[in-house]
Amino acid sequence: MTIANERVRVTVNGVIYERSVEPRLLLSDFLRHELGLTGTHVGCEHGVCGMCTILLDGRTARSCLAFAVQADGCQIRTVEGLGTVDGLHPIQEAFWEKHGLQCGYCTPAMLMTAVELIEANPSPSREEIRDAVGGNLCRCTGYQTIVEAVELAAQRLSAAKAPSTPAAGEDGSAVGH
Amino acid sequence: MTGVENRIPKSRQKEAPRGTYRWIGRSMKRVEDPRLLTGHGSYADDIHLPGMALAAVLRSPHAHARIKSIDTSRAKALPGVILVMTGAEAADKAGPLPCFANPPVKQMCIAVDRVRHVGEPVAAVVAESRYVAEDALELIEVTWEPLPVMADPEEAARAMGDGVLHPDRGDTNIAFRRSFDFGPVDEDFAQADHVIRRKLRWSRSGAQPMETVGAVAEFNPGTGKFTIHANTSMYNYVGWLVAASLGVPAHRLNIVPTLAGGSFGSKIFTHRVMVIAATLARACGRPVKYIEDRIDNITACDAHGCDRIYDVELAIKDGLMTGLKCHVIDDYGAYFQFGVGHHGNALSQITGPYRLRSVRLDLTAVLTNKCQQGAYRGFGSDVANFVLERMVDAAVAKLNDDALQFRRRNFIQPDQFPYLIPTGNMYDSGNYPAVLDKALGLLDYGEWRKRQEEARQSGRYIGIGIATCQERSVFSATEFWMLNEEPGFALTSSPESVSLKMDPTGKVYVALQAPFWGNSPETVATQILAEQLQIDPQDIVVTYSDSDHGLNGTGPGGSRFTVMLAGAVVGAAQQLKQKLIRVAAHMLETDASDLELRDGKVGVTGVPGMERTFAEVALHAHYFRLSMPDDPSLSSGLDAAHVYDHPATTLPAVDRKDLGIFYPIMGHMCHLPVVEVDVETGKVEFLAYVAVHDCGTLVNPMTLAGHVRGGVAQGIGTALYERYHYDSNGQLLTASFMDYLIPTLHELPEEIIVGHVETPSPFTEYGIKGGGEGGRMGAPPAVASAIEDALRPLGVTINVLPLTPKHLRTLIREAQARRPIAAE
Amino acid sequence: MKPPPFEYLRPADVEGVLAALARDSGETKILAGGQSLVPMMNLRIVAPKRLVDINRVPGLDRIGIDGDWFVIGALARHTDVLKSPAVRQHTPLVIAAYRHVAHRPIRNRGTIGGNLAHADPASELPAVMLALDAEMVLHSRSGERRVPAERFFLGTFETAARADELLTAIRVPLVSENRRWGFEEMSQRQGDYALVAVAATFDLESGRCAHPRLAYAGVADHAMRIPAVEAALDGASPHEAAFEAVAAKAAEAVNPPEDVHADAAYRRDLVRSLTRRALTAAARR
Repeated sequence: MTIANERVRVTVNGVIYERSVEPRLLLSDFLRHELGLTGTHVGCEHGVCGMCTILLDGRTARSCLAFAVQADGCQIRTVEGLGTVDGLHPIQEAFWEKHGLQCGYCTPAMLMTAVELIEANPSPSREEIRDAVGGNLCRCTGYQTIVEAVELAAQRLSAAKAPSTPAAGEDGSAVGH
Repeated sequence: MTGVENRIPKSRQKEAPRGTYRWIGRSMKRVEDPRLLTGHGSYADDIHLPGMALAAVLRSPHAHARIKSIDTSRAKALPGVILVMTGAEAADKAGPLPCFANPPVKQMCIAVDRVRHVGEPVAAVVAESRYVAEDALELIEVTWEPLPVMADPEEAARAMGDGVLHPDRGDTNIAFRRSFDFGPVDEDFAQADHVIRRKLRWSRSGAQPMETVGAVAEFNPGTGKFTIHANTSMYNYVGWLVAASLGVPAHRLNIVPTLAGGSFGSKIFTHRVMVIAATLARACGRPVKYIEDRIDNITACDAHGCDRIYDVELAIKDGLMTGLKCHVIDDYGAYFQFGVGHHGNALSQITGPYRLRSVRLDLTAVLTNKCQQGAYRGFGSDVANFVLERMVDAAVAKLNDDALQFRRRNFIQPDQFPYLIPTGNMYDSGNYPAVLDKALGLLDYGEWRKRQEEARQSGRYIGIGIATCQERSVFSATEFWMLNEEPGFALTSSPESVSLKMDPTGKVYVALQAPFWGNSPETVATQILAEQLQIDPQDIVVTYSDSDHGLNGTGPGGSRFTVMLAGAVVGAAQQLKQKLIRVAAHMLETDASDLELRDGKVGVTGVPGMERTFAEVALHAHYFRLSMPDDPSLSSGLDAAHVYDHPATTLPAVDRKDLGIFYPIMGHMCHLPVVEVDVETGKVEFLAYVAVHDCGTLVNPMTLAGHVRGGVAQGIGTALYERYHYDSNGQLLTASFMDYLIPTLHELPEEIIVGHVETPSPFTEYGIKGGGEGGRMGAPPAVASAIEDALRPLGVTINVLPLTPKHLRTLIREAQARRPIAAE
Repeated sequence: MKPPPFEYLRPADVEGVLAALARDSGETKILAGGQSLVPMMNLRIVAPKRLVDINRVPGLDRIGIDGDWFVIGALARHTDVLKSPAVRQHTPLVIAAYRHVAHRPIRNRGTIGGNLAHADPASELPAVMLALDAEMVLHSRSGERRVPAERFFLGTFETAARADELLTAIRVPLVSENRRWGFEEMSQRQGDYALVAVAATFDLESGRCAHPRLAYAGVADHAMRIPAVEAALDGASPHEAAFEAVAAKAAEAVNPPEDVHADAAYRRDLVRSLTRRALTAAARR
């Protein structure tokens, strides 16, 4: 059986990519190997661990459970679009301060999960944060500092948005980069 | 004890703990993090080499079978397939994998005549993509002759003939059978008031890091040299063994480390994956990437955790524990890479924090049709802690004593250090009552006992667990062979090394010999070096030496890395400091003894302004030879290297009644979980969790707490959720993440309160002790204790892990049947 | 773990989907959320030759009222069903079950129709649909067919849907807002498939249980109700003792499967305790 390639035109972190791919190419492999965006990781390829989690049209999704062809016309955000070493996103900064990572393998997934949560819900409760973080596995941290990092990030981002809140946030860091 | 002073090596500590530091003890943000946070960490699957091809491995569906034939013709014919290799073809080029046991058990990277566990590689395919490689796997036709499956270690121990996994070693699956006595065991049991007996079962779980093992290998036909990029460790210790497997001299192999997405011991070697990738690369003439998928890793990682059955007896006289007898059956798996090193490891702290005076270990290790055990956070001492603390709880119950009082009475007291335990190992320092007191305070123990009582009145089952355990650190190489009848390769070195240099602009480079696993080697090296040189951490960069450039370095494992890295950095930094000062003394025209390092400068003590920056000194040192005295020690440049050997280790006695000092940097912990058990469903919920650790002087409290919490999470997984569950046909029923259950945050305590006590080591630099494994070594006994405490009204005793809801519910149902009055 | 090759079709509308299904239906699978199908393909447990991607077919995800029925489009994402005020109002049992269904990224892509058509015996939603007397709306080139939930779930991954049929909607009869409901589940981890789950509903008429429904996941190779147990509940007084008796009867009535996580005795214990809890919770509402 010879199967025709399909055309895919997808926007990733604001950049448009056009490729011709096998229908069975997983979105995770497309991002990592076709586009060279290796920040998104692969852990199980059956949807449980969450390492491959990205934002697909604004919502978190397991990229190992989608085919690249399905992303035609879609907007994808991965960790590479969040911040740079010289300009970390406040969520990345918060993870750094709170020791929300050890080996770093689950970190991109946790960051994108935090992005979805905070962008939809700028003042998430602890329960809401735990519910979001509960969707991904981490084998290193025991999760506690990840939750603390997301909490801190949410506090800082909403403090930065608040126009003239006295003594709000610790450093008034800018929103997004 | 007489002669104690003679047995204990002299301390070679250069940096005594002094309590106030500039950099040590700070919860500094990690140096490693920015690239990890921005998705720019380079893990094994991120490596791309030009012309690289992808490999996949055909996994055996049988637990034990002869390979009668393999037909690879259809697979080879598939478009996009470059190469198909059977085990026999691999064996033509690649020899047996390294094995630390003596006598060794032969393991080939791809099975040759028979398979010995489900998931064992049977053939490998190289193709233009992993997708095509997996298509080709389906076209490989294997015919099998099933052999009797040895899934039960007791049955395997009795098997002969076709049930024997390695007939060339003899007609038995027993890989090791030996008994050891330390101290007056028979006497202690003869004189006991009470003998407590329990049968305990520790089932196998495993590291399951989120990243599997992977390697990208290439062979250069021009130089005859292999280069392997892999998420491995020990490449600067025994990497040359892989060259031996590949049939090349050691200098025709360079191993380059990638970041590892977690290891917890399971990536300490990765020999199989590296040898497969390299063998395929040589055969097909292209770089080959082989990354285990999750099923590969679960079934064939060569790193399953401990799997043991214990029959234990504890002798008690006048309320004090005296003797301990352990009859152990070790369900090892199909190969024997570490021999009984896991049991040697356990003997380093088998008597726990208590003054037990005698130990008998009666050990049988059996080969079975399962993936072999490897190193998993605890390496056998995790089991020893569980066994001992279960016996302590059993003793407390039998004597109708108080759990805290019993422990306090039996503790080694703070004035008894350094302390030698019956096996010969030394505990360097400790204060066990202080750790217990701190933990009880952090938990508000009295308050929880009150709440427990109220809960019992209203029909709820709340329990408080207590585990006071050791967490040894810094293994000695003697552990690998000291229990063997014939030692074999009786190595005694387990060093760590760094090389340092300061460039002409004053920046400092630290080269490590071992990889990043999620531990924080760059941060530790940076903090220690900053302390030594009084330099800004921003001016330090850490690199990782491949095996071509590396010095002798054992790598992370056995909670050794922070201690050993500190020792290596101190040793090298002191040399570098000396030269910096001498060059500066010349530049400042003063005596070296007048100078100190401060804030990135060398200056006259007490005279601000009379100083030179490191950059100025370094520039001078690198380029202005003829302006310096004609002394060979002032040659151009500023660099130093140091090999730091184990700070306190001795050989075992020939008769093995004394194993010497082999794991002396002894940390300690107290874990106090509070659980609620739903007796109808068997579900366990955490209401609180306190973990107090004594890891001596802390380099970075934040990262240590991270290890404690992560370790507790894994320990809870081992205690309640995780099991590699083989059925009687050797089929692995938990072969994916759908059935092998790793805890999410919902299954764990919402908060793990971490406390620290610091009793510095007299032997290590700054008095640092290791703590990377401790969390996982304390949680299983603590959780078992908590559940048993919760179910005390029902009379349930906990002897088996994991305590899955089904298992707990079964125990509860049986207990309720025995005591109908307590049932509803 | 990479999936085997397949031909990929993405019809623009339902007609296109049905035409694609009518051809080679035995070798064709619907790709909706993919959260159940793709893992099986990655594990090479299934290898469909053709996938028909319905994710962009319009009109299949509407949620709303149709006369005496509440209708949920099969393509509605779990996340959207969970957020829907209408679902909360008309079928709160669905919301209760969703607390136990997977995790957000799975719910973002997974669809309610996909979950039901997949028919995992340990999945919560089939049991909920049984308890709600739901109807499955199936379309093919031959027309529309409605199958009551009771006759829809037949076995492990097996439903009454024919290979050429597309599940397009789920219809639930509207009931009084006073109808009681309870949902209880035991799974080892939050979000896992159920070891056992119970969906219970009943009316209270003159202080007695009426029109009861008790549906279970995890006790057989498909979600099921137990008529004999419902009969015992019918007319019973909504108190602990009566519920305990019904629960005990339910535990005896089932013949649950055994697997690595649970044996039959444990599942029976769960049936008993979860039935009692679900009924108690329902009565307290």
